[in-house]
Amino acid sequence: MNSPSKILVVDDEPQLTRVLRTGLKSRGYDVRVAADGLAGFEAFSDWHPDLVITDLAMPNLDGLELCRRLRAISQVPIIVLSAKGEEKTKVEALDIGADDFVTKPFGIDELLARVRASLRRANAPATSETAQTILDSGDFHVDLESREITVRSNPIHLTPKEFELLVYFIKHAGKVLTHRTLLAAIWGGNYVEQNEYLRVFVGNLRKKIEMDPATPRYILTEPWIGYRFDPGETIS
Amino acid sequence: MRRSVLDHKWAGYVVAVLSVFTLTLVLKIVGTHVNAATVSLALLLNVLFVATRWGSLPALFTSILAMLCFNFFFLPPFGTFTIAATDNWVALLAFLVTAVTAGQLSARAKKRAEEAETGRIEIERLYAELRDAFERASHAEALRQSEKLKSALLDAVTHDLRTPLTSIKASITTLLDEARGRVNGEPPVTLDAESKVEMMEVIDEESDRLSRFISGLIELARIEAGELQLRRRWGVVEEIISAALSRAEPMTKQHRVRLDVEKELPGVRVDERAVSEVVYTLVDNAAKYSPRGSTIRITAQRAGDEQIQMAVEDEGRGIPIDLRDQVFDKFFRATRDGDISQQPTGTGMGLAIAKGIVEAHEGEIWIESGAGGRGTRVVFTLPIGDEDDSR
Repeated sequence: MNSPSKILVVDDEPQLTRVLRTGLKSRGYDVRVAADGLAGFEAFSDWHPDLVITDLAMPNLDGLELCRRLRAISQVPIIVLSAKGEEKTKVEALDIGADDFVTKPFGIDELLARVRASLRRANAPATSETAQTILDSGDFHVDLESREITVRSNPIHLTPKEFELLVYFIKHAGKVLTHRTLLAAIWGGNYVEQNEYLRVFVGNLRKKIEMDPATPRYILTEPWIGYRFDPGETIS
Repeated sequence: MRRSVLDHKWAGYVVAVLSVFTLTLVLKIVGTHVNAATVSLALLLNVLFVATRWGSLPALFTSILAMLCFNFFFLPPFGTFTIAATDNWVALLAFLVTAVTAGQLSARAKKRAEEAETGRIEIERLYAELRDAFERASHAEALRQSEKLKSALLDAVTHDLRTPLTSIKASITTLLDEARGRVNGEPPVTLDAESKVEMMEVIDEESDRLSRFISGLIELARIEAGELQLRRRWGVVEEIISAALSRAEPMTKQHRVRLDVEKELPGVRVDERAVSEVVYTLVDNAAKYSPRGSTIRITAQRAGDEQIQMAVEDEGRGIPIDLRDQVFDKFFRATRDGDISQQPTGTGMGLAIAKGIVEAHEGEIWIESGAGGRGTRVVFTLPIGDEDDSR
């Protein structure tokens, strides 16, 4: 039997850490809690958890700084707990390197779903790559060499930029990608403020890959933040 | 403003003709009693009058007209424009030069006066415009500040509502999952009896926290609206403090509490429950912000003939002087030395409510350092009250 995944919860609200510790333990996770960013960073260094759940507003060292420090030394998945209205901070956390966020107040199921997805991505990468040329993820099959793509076994034709964007989505399936991250990755650092580029290309991509572009199931919008790609079926 | 007929330039010429002829006629009628000098002075006055009222051109016209009349009617030979004597030539010339010069000078003075008046009106208009613009800007700034404050208050309120709600929702959904036996592809949810109790305790405590917060909000709203209804009765200070201390007992278990009430302290006419709430808030704060095992000291004594003074003192790290007024603002939560490593745990309303209650009693509340400059001492005064005080 595999050893349970280790989760570090960093929050200054003792009642919430009580609940999360019990809730996560009841699902078989090994849990430790820390009351602020500094204690969280120390616990991470000592314990090497598989995933970190952190609040944003905390004394001593806030969630943003914790994300920054963790990213400097590790690729551990980070889920940020945030509140509605904290979109700016949320985007900042995601840009720094957080993988996902959950908005307060949340049900334990919602958090657990994000935990499972993040751990799965970390343990088995979202894409299986054969000789670095084939990407297989859910409903998507991509040949990077011939630049052929099939969705639900149907071939689709994409422009070079659309192709790049979709490949980036597939490689980061399940993760929340901010507008800034996508623009920097596909168009380069000078275009990080050009959200309209992204809107147009995502719109075109949806027309080509979604069954119903009006209610997308692959490229999901995270309002004010960015997009999350769900490859459908299973993330292998 | 509507212009009168006399304001027109042509009116000046008409008046010039009429006035010169009238004056000439009058002077001619009383001719035996006036000499040439008197006539010339009278005509000069006429020129000045036209100049100051209608300006330089009508004045020039009047001067020439007056000169002609002076020559025709008053310089011999009368009834002709010829002049016999040389000295009369000089007189006529002097008259003309004086009339023209005086007329032009007074016309220029009039023009300057008009320009000065126009300037004054323009300055007044600009000043009024500037004042209006300044008032509009001040009003906009006040609105902006007010909106900013509202937004900050809303943030504080939503944070204080959302935090306990998050714990409650997470607990409830954990219990629900366990009750429903949901698996979600994961190992079955197993909550032992202790964990279940813990979840329920969190729900219970966080519901109380929400309830306290909402009560505080209502209380604060009442105070701010001036609707705090005080039920004043004669009460004993020691009893008011005891009621607060027994309520605060769960919070002060880890502290030593010392009560120091002056002997023969008179009764006070106050709302006992409200004042007890003030003492409770101060003791609760003292317990939160001072180390375990330290002493919390509550004192009550007379302050002059008409007031009593109560104080709650702790041995914590104190409040910096620049924050001592701010801590009475609603939702202000400072750690006692501004050090963010110490997490504030209150609702941020306790001291604002305490201040509201004390001030409703016409007392005062303030913060000073504790004994030896250490810790925090919150002091408040209350009027003792009169026998016939029916408020």
